[in-house]
Parts: sequence; C-alpha cells; structure tokens
Amino acid sequence: MNEVRVAPLMKEIESEARSKIRRRLVKHGMAAYDDEEIFERVRATLQHAADGRDLGVLLLPELLNDEVEWSLDPNLQLSSHRPAAGKAILFAKRRILLPLTRWLFEYSQRNFQRQQQLNRILLACIEELAVENAKLRRDLDALRK
Amino acid sequence: MKLACVIHRFGADIAGGSEGHCRLIAEHLALTHEVTILTTTARDHVSWANHYRAGEDPVGRLRVIRFPVDRPRDLHRFRDISDLVFSDRASPDEEQQWFRENGPVAPALLECLQRQGGSFDLVLFWSYRYYNTFFGVPVVGRRAVLLPTAEEDPLVHVDALSPFFALPGGYLFLTQEEERLVGDRAPAATPRRIIGCGIDPPAVADASLLQRLGIAEPYVLYLGRIDPNKGCDTLLRYFMKYIGDGSSPDRLRASGASASLAEARADLGRAEAEGLRCEPGGPAPRVQLVMAGPANMPVPEHPAIRTLGFVDEPTRDALLAHARVLMMPSPYESLSMVLLEAWNRGLPALVNRRCAVLEGQVLRSDGGLYYQSAAEFAGALDYLLAHPDVARQLGAQGRAYVEREYRWPTVMRKIEALLSEVAANSSHENTKSRNHEIS
Repeated sequence: MNEVRVAPLMKEIESEARSKIRRRLVKHGMAAYDDEEIFERVRATLQHAADGRDLGVLLLPELLNDEVEWSLDPNLQLSSHRPAAGKAILFAKRRILLPLTRWLFEYSQRNFQRQQQLNRILLACIEELAVENAKLRRDLDALRK
Repeated sequence: MKLACVIHRFGADIAGGSEGHCRLIAEHLALTHEVTILTTTARDHVSWANHYRAGEDPVGRLRVIRFPVDRPRDLHRFRDISDLVFSDRASPDEEQQWFRENGPVAPALLECLQRQGGSFDLVLFWSYRYYNTFFGVPVVGRRAVLLPTAEEDPLVHVDALSPFFALPGGYLFLTQEEERLVGDRAPAATPRRIIGCGIDPPAVADASLLQRLGIAEPYVLYLGRIDPNKGCDTLLRYFMKYIGDGSSPDRLRASGASASLAEARADLGRAEAEGLRCEPGGPAPRVQLVMAGPANMPVPEHPAIRTLGFVDEPTRDALLAHARVLMMPSPYESLSMVLLEAWNRGLPALVNRRCAVLEGQVLRSDGGLYYQSAAEFAGALDYLLAHPDVARQLGAQGRAYVEREYRWPTVMRKIEALLSEVAANSSHENTKSRNHEIS
C-alpha cells in the first residue's frame, strides 16, 4: 500500500465528525446550521474562544472592578483577624476542622474549579463575539460612506 | 568520562517513565563511561517512604548510592500548596516551597553533590519537578545536563523555573514539543539534543498467552496505569459512547461530549440490545477495549471492556502484537514509551490531540490518528477499524519512524555528542576562570 499521510486524512475525519454534529443539531431545531458555512463560522469562533487563546488574558476582566470582587476563589485561605487568639484559632481550623471537612472542601473545590474554567471560556466567547461585531460595524460604516 | 545520574527513585522494579528512562540511558552510558546513580531510598512515588537500604549498592555496571528521605510527603499540604501555585497567586518563596513539598527531600544527596560533585565530569538530572533536581542543578551549575521530562502542565509555567532553566550546561529533550516548552528559557547557546529513548527490535510474541486470557480479536489496547490523570476516565466515557453510538439522533444527543459516565452507561444499556457496533449503518464488528495495567480508578463492568491488571513482559508483547489499535488518551506526556513500543510492533495509535507531544509524534511518524472530542474519537476509531489496510500502513510507518529515530545506536550517538560538547564547554570555562584568578 502507498504511503498514508495523517494530516489530510485527519482533515477528512474531522470534517465528517463536524458534519455529523451539524446534522444532529439541525434535526433538533437549530435550523440556522442548515447553512454549512454559518455552522462552520460559528464553530470556528467558539473553538477559538475555547482553546485557541490564553484564557488568563481577556479584556472584560480588565474592565471590571478588582478581580477579588467577582472572580471565583476555589482555594481556601485560612486566616484570623484576632491578634492574640489568632494563632490558636488558625491551628484549630487547620488541624481539627479542615481534616474533618476535607472531603467536602475537596468536592466543592473541584466543582468551583470547573465553574471557573467555564466562566473564563464564556468570557472569551463574549469577547470573540464582540470582536466580530466590531469588525462588522467597521465594515458597515465603511459601506455607508 | 565520570558521570553521575540524579533520579528521585531507582530500581529494576520501578516502572515509572523518567525512572525507566534514566535506568536505560545509564546502563547504555555505563558501557563506555564510569556511571554513578545518586538517588533516594524511596520506592513509592506518592509517599516517598524509605524502602531501600541507604548507602552504596552496585547494580550491574552501575554504582548506585541511595540517600534517605527526610520525611514522607504530606499530601494535604502538597495539595494546598499546589492549589496556590497553580492558581498563579504564589510568592517566589511559596513556589520554591512547592518543590520541597513535592519531594523526595533527601538533603544528604544535595550535600553529596556539594562535597563530591566536583569529582564528576558531568551530572545528569532527570525531571525538573523533583526536589533533588530543582535544588541540585544550582549546586552543579554548568556541569549539569538536564533531562526535564516536561509536560504542558501548569507547573512548567511558574516563575521560579525561569532562572532554573537558565542554569544547566546542556539539555537532553525527549521531543521537539518539550524543547519548545523549556528550551526558550535556556540561553540560546546552551547545547541541546532531542533524543527520545532507545528501543530494541521487538521479541517474538506468544499468541497463546492471549488465548489463555480469553482475549478474542478484534481488540483495541490501553497499556499502562489506569488513572484519571492518564486520561482513562475520558477514554472509558468515549469508548462506551462509541460502542453505544448509532445513527439514532436521540442516542447521539444522550452521548454528547459532556455526558457523564453514568449517562453513557445507561446509554450503553440501550445499545447493548442491538449489539456492539462500529461503522454507522454498516456491519457491527465486536471490538473490545483491553486495558492492561494497575487500576487507580473504577472501571465499568461490561463485556466490551476487559481489565487485566498488571501484566508481565511476554503478555504485554502478545497484547501489542495482536491489537488493532493502541489507545493513548493521556493529556500530559513528555514522550510516551508505550507509543514507541506499539510502533515498534507496527501497531497504529489513536492519541489524545490535547497532548501536543502525542499529536506531534503522530504527525512526524504518520503512525496513527488523533482526536479532540467524542465525535472525533468515534470517527477516527471507526476509520481505523473499517480500513485495516490503512491501519496496517500507519502502523508500518510508525515502525519506520522508530527505526529512523529511536534505535539505541542513534540515540546514544546524540547523547555522546551532547556530553562531549558540555564537557568541553565546562573545561573551557574552568580554564578561563583559572587564568582569570592567576592574572
């Protein structure tokens, strides 16, 4: 048998996988995806938001107030404001309460981490759409002139 | 040359990736050099509990010196510091603390490097993430040769590593992807080679071992630790969806990418009534997923999934020799020896594209296919099972890649060239500093 090149073969397989997803969505009411080109543009935009960029560097978070006020904090930081008894309280929290409740802490922490990841992806999606919108507005303004 | 190899654990019974890599390279180096292994008494990679006897212990041509581990790993403390460091909120001190908590903390090994490190021409360090490498490389400086065995995980991006990666006198990388990940942070003139790992031509496999285990063809094979960190939960979810996946839109919807294992299992229940299938609309070959390796997670009980636990070398060979496809779902790999072993036997692979190393290896070799989603997994596996001639050709191309890049003489030539270059640089720097002192 002749040499098989993986890159073009994968393009075929990926295209077929996308096509299956599109047909399924159309069948379940997403009529806009009947147009293959529309589907492909939407997919490419969302895909780029999901894994084509650094989710830690986005515009919207820069425009919001201090991150501490809105960002999820999945890490537990134990502290005490009491100057004298603080050390004893911290010790009790770390050595007695935390070991007893660790299972609950770890369960919720994993879920918080997933939620945080999803939030970042959604922020990236919004930004991708805003970029698309800005480009279209610019083109429209140019046509009007 | 007089060489030292620093590795966190060492022993013929230790199957870990970097440990096995170190042992193989050291054994081959020992044919032409004087090689000492500096390691710990730990055997368990989770607790680092002392297991071996401390002190000197010759193993074949190698001189092995083991140093005791000060304290076992505190997993809670380790998890807490990991959360802090990986969320990018750690101070430089906390980043350094991560390497102490990761261990294995063997201060006597570092003292040995300080006292006797100068007696070695070069010191090779494996795996930047462990205590003895992270704190040992600065002790040795430009005479250090680092094999980072780095993966695209959050650790590799922490700030503390930028000055660290600038220290070694030379680098041995496993793949091009690893060189891109780490090499940019080393001075441009630092000598480096991409070596991978050597592999011998395969031994003859005994097919009767499979009959004894009751394994019927066709089967696809997962070989290694069955662990969520190795992508096995995703593999199982995708595979169960795949065998339950038909052209019915309802079933396709139920088996979407985010469906849980429980959902997929329920989905599979419905599919079972119709038999296991492969090509949508076509005949239904009964493909089985065989998983050989110790399990660190529950595996669903189903006739299409066979778990064998740990298998010996001849069984492993037989499994590789008769499988249709090797499944490699790990999202983090710095090389994947199993992939090379599969190609060594002409077996095509289906790998997780989210791991840049695996995707790169498949594209360089043309030895398999890759996937990034459940739909691509199903499409690629369907293709390999429905086109055995193409699958065989991909496997043959994988074998040719191994012949070209990973036979021991090729690998050792690259290592020897790098060691000579680093040793020459190091002695040149020593001469320069001596002359400077004299003048």
